[in-house]
Amino acid sequence: MASITATPDETSPIGTVSLVRLYILRAMYLVLVIGLGAMIVPEILSHEPASRGVIASLLGAVWLLAFVGLRYPLEMLPLLLFEFAWKLIWMAFYGLPQWLSGQRPPTFAEDSFNIAFGAVLLVIIPWGYVWRHYVKRPGARWS
Amino acid sequence: MAPTAAWPSFWQRGDQEVSLARLYVMRAVGLLGIYGLLPMVARLVDHSPTERGMLIAMVSGLWVMAFFVIRYPLKLVPLFLFEIIWKLLWLIFFGLPQWWTGVGSPRLGEDLWSIGAFPLVCALVIPWGYVWRHYVKAPGDRWR
Repeated sequence: MASITATPDETSPIGTVSLVRLYILRAMYLVLVIGLGAMIVPEILSHEPASRGVIASLLGAVWLLAFVGLRYPLEMLPLLLFEFAWKLIWMAFYGLPQWLSGQRPPTFAEDSFNIAFGAVLLVIIPWGYVWRHYVKRPGARWS
Repeated sequence: MAPTAAWPSFWQRGDQEVSLARLYVMRAVGLLGIYGLLPMVARLVDHSPTERGMLIAMVSGLWVMAFFVIRYPLKLVPLFLFEIIWKLLWLIFFGLPQWWTGVGSPRLGEDLWSIGAFPLVCALVIPWGYVWRHYVKAPGDRWR
């Protein structure tokens, strides 16, 4: 794509990642497309008439954006960062305390298995790239 | 190129990706999210011992990501897309059918307002030209 940006800004490229990393990222998006899709699409399409549906819709959006991730694995990193963030938060504030105390909701076994799978993101996300692009790089202009 | 030519005005994109006004609107929505989601995020440290916690954890994940929006609104466009998509999914498959049939979750009224109104806001805030250029027209990352 021809750059339409005259001055370096938050969208100009600064380094990239290895081809292997791109394939690892794509594999992760594919896992979401297939694995999460198998779980969430039936839940969205056929559910109890009075189901609240917020969690199903949130996961449905992760599933749809994972398709975009197959083509643009780096641009869609915020999706994987979000996945990593919420799973880490769940583990820290719900999963681990409930596991340690023995007071668990009925959904605990299924949820903890699915969410613990998010630990793979720790090795899948290119943290150096994240550091360069989402921390070190100058932000978008203010004036 | 002179800076004045590069940044023609507050409202026009010029040769930038989006206008300065758009960046500020996106940042404002990020700030609004940080502020508005705070009561839900607070439930992380104040909930019943056996609460499932999925929803609160996901909302808290969004809350964390909203801080990045302030500094990098364009890099975080996927987060805005996520917001509009999940809310549209909810409206299409849950909110509207339940509203029409009159059989809904006990929180339907509240959800219709807090979720159902936002796709419109997102649709106005998202820089669709940028989305088109970066997530449709741009060549994908390399395959070999």
